[in-house]
Amino acid sequence: MSATVAPDTILKELAALWTQEGKQGDAGVLRACSMTLLVIAETGDDAAALGETVAALMPQHPARTILILLRGDGERALSQRVYQQCWKPFGQRQQICCEQIEITASDAALADLPSVILPLAVPDLPVILWCRSARLTGRPEFGAIAAMSTKVVIDSGAAGEARDAIGRIADAVRRGGIVADLAWTRLTRWRETLARVFENRDTLAHLSEVDSVKVHFGPGYETAAWYLAAWAMNALGSVGQVVTPVVASQDESLRLELTGGPFRVELSRQDERLVTVVNEQSNCTNLPRPTDYLLMREELGIVRRDAIFEGTLASAARLAGSAGTGQS
Amino acid sequence: MPNENPFQDPLRFERQIPECVIVIFGANGDLTKRKLLPALYRLAFDRRLSAGFAIVGISRTPLSDDAFREKMRESVEQFSEDTKLDEEVWAGFARGLYYVAGDIADQGLYQRLGEKLGQIESERHTGGNVLFYLSTQPSQYAPIAHGIGAAGLGKGNGWRRLVVEKPFGHDLASARELSNRLHEVFDEADVYRIDHYLGKETVQNILAFRFGNGIFEPLWNRRYVNHVQITGAESIGVEGRGAYYQEAGALDDMIQNHLLQVMATIAMEPSASFQATSVRDERSKLLRSIRPMTADEVFQNTVAGQYGPASIGGKDVPGFRQEEGVDPNSQTNTYAAVTFFVDNWRWAGVPFYVRTGKRLAKRVSEIAIQFNSAPLHLFNQDSGETSTNLLILRIQPEEGISLKFLSKRPGSGMTLRPVSMDFNYGSSFGERSPSAYETLLLDAIIGDPTLYTRQDMVEASWSVVEPIQNTWRATKFDFPNYAAGSWGPAPADEMLARRGHVWRKP
Repeated sequence: MSATVAPDTILKELAALWTQEGKQGDAGVLRACSMTLLVIAETGDDAAALGETVAALMPQHPARTILILLRGDGERALSQRVYQQCWKPFGQRQQICCEQIEITASDAALADLPSVILPLAVPDLPVILWCRSARLTGRPEFGAIAAMSTKVVIDSGAAGEARDAIGRIADAVRRGGIVADLAWTRLTRWRETLARVFENRDTLAHLSEVDSVKVHFGPGYETAAWYLAAWAMNALGSVGQVVTPVVASQDESLRLELTGGPFRVELSRQDERLVTVVNEQSNCTNLPRPTDYLLMREELGIVRRDAIFEGTLASAARLAGSAGTGQS
Repeated sequence: MPNENPFQDPLRFERQIPECVIVIFGANGDLTKRKLLPALYRLAFDRRLSAGFAIVGISRTPLSDDAFREKMRESVEQFSEDTKLDEEVWAGFARGLYYVAGDIADQGLYQRLGEKLGQIESERHTGGNVLFYLSTQPSQYAPIAHGIGAAGLGKGNGWRRLVVEKPFGHDLASARELSNRLHEVFDEADVYRIDHYLGKETVQNILAFRFGNGIFEPLWNRRYVNHVQITGAESIGVEGRGAYYQEAGALDDMIQNHLLQVMATIAMEPSASFQATSVRDERSKLLRSIRPMTADEVFQNTVAGQYGPASIGGKDVPGFRQEEGVDPNSQTNTYAAVTFFVDNWRWAGVPFYVRTGKRLAKRVSEIAIQFNSAPLHLFNQDSGETSTNLLILRIQPEEGISLKFLSKRPGSGMTLRPVSMDFNYGSSFGERSPSAYETLLLDAIIGDPTLYTRQDMVEASWSVVEPIQNTWRATKFDFPNYAAGSWGPAPADEMLARRGHVWRKP
């Protein structure tokens, strides 16, 4: 392994790849790029699965992908390889290709990364940082990499202490960063289902009766629970319903309950299903665990501030901050 | 009570669909089986429909609700091109399927329909919202609307809308008469005249391309555009629809509606907003700006054609007159090419060549905008002839946009070669595009008529087409005049050649 990498060399290698591709066959290749996708993962991360996820994202969000693999302890060292991700749309002769750069870095070389990444980012296009390493987000070098990014995507669901994680994300947003949390993205289907319940005018008429919001969660769902509770609280607050939600670790997975007098709406996960109960009527829809691909596809489609998430995050940080262990 | 749903998140959620019932007249027809049910099932599969959504099929054949569900299941299985039937989704969807049998001329049918709608409203909480979809013979549109009105179903607790398929009339007078009959029951704002071309992603993308980017619109006028070619070509023949097609013809079947709407989208002025009224106003203004032709101009600027028999790829295919149900002496046009001019400041003098036909060389719909060539030719060109810039907006298949321009050929000397820069909609965005019917049905349920044609647009189109119709009806054509599998009759080439232009062979 060489100790350093030179961005100029990487860019030359990329250019050579395109020249080579252009010489193969008369149909040629189409270069597609709408952003720089910077992925940071540990070398212990499932490289094959990650590669498949990135490849699957390319047709919707063609990007120059810079994959940083963190190899932990060891001497200060960086290494790199350059390749392309190509696919041929069904029935077409022309290949579509996106550039991929893989850089391996030891912890001692983390401070060198910004100077490598900066010249490699595609000019005039957004840089999206997807940090899969919970360890890195706690290190000082992370700030410099995040500062180069238009948007940072992390997953607090993987964090050990949910309330701390929410607090850190809220701080980053307060400082002006655009941050997404995949723990929030996983709730889109839940939120959409609840919103759909209240599209019915008869049900909407009962909204003003709601005086209780309860979220029960099981292992691995704590961040989601705080988000769900804060979101419901904010939404109700926007129509004048002041409700302080109760968040409790009393369930196997996740359950949201809105009640007021005889009116009751409940959403709960049961295996791979989302069960919706409105008073006595229940409905069941498929709710497979969203893959990284689905979550990132949603996040890459939003390269701007998400007011609802940021409002929820601020409220979740307040709720979680003021709560005792396990519940509020 | 809050008026708005506070749980909505427009940034991340799909558009919310209100609860409603769709009443489909002609529920056993081809359109219902091939397009409507597969589109509605796909919407259910994608969770785009509300939980209480219901469909009432209406047709003459006596069927139970369960038998209708079984028939519709077969349709979905057979005609859903890219959606596999999911048992669980289907079970939920099928619970909302109902059937009422009866003759549309029998007022009792509408009474029974009213009772069924009442039952569904109480069971599924549809809020009184009803979308009536007329998938029947056009001659039945007015009687059905009358039946709906007489039974008091044209108004209710929620909204009531009416969707009608093309053709909307067969000339200007009949289109006006039909609108008048529909307006006896439904306000114009509640009449949705469907033109599935406008629901195609790429046709919608024309608006995004023109008005979402700053660099193209300054070139979009008579100063830079030499001419425009709009092609809607089909490789198949009339496929058993000979009897129907014989009455319509290519001009009425394609140009009066689909291709003139596409032309309006290409040539309209920017609307003040993307509100339905603004967009439709601009489309309508453009259609009214198309110069109607005198009889002499019709001879100069139009070409009618009819395909004859030919061998395509070793397979013998019949001519139009040999198709089942077609008069052996038929004068029906299976090909139509028209040169339109738009009398406004932007487009004065720019020819818009519009062509459509059956049994042409390939199936393709596209718009080609040819720009003026550079005023001086400083360089050698590989092709040996002047090459111009061409912008191609492909509607189907392989939706996308291509820009042709000249580039220096590598090596010494300055020899230029045309190259093409391609944007492919399907590969640049790998996500599945919704079918036109999915888009349009959702729009109708939501109450967004942007992609539907309005009465004044229909009438403006007929005003443009009617002089051609009249002249063609009075003319005895020497048909057939093009071989199946070709790019149409020779006079169509001559029509362009008179202005120094050539049809593209897409």
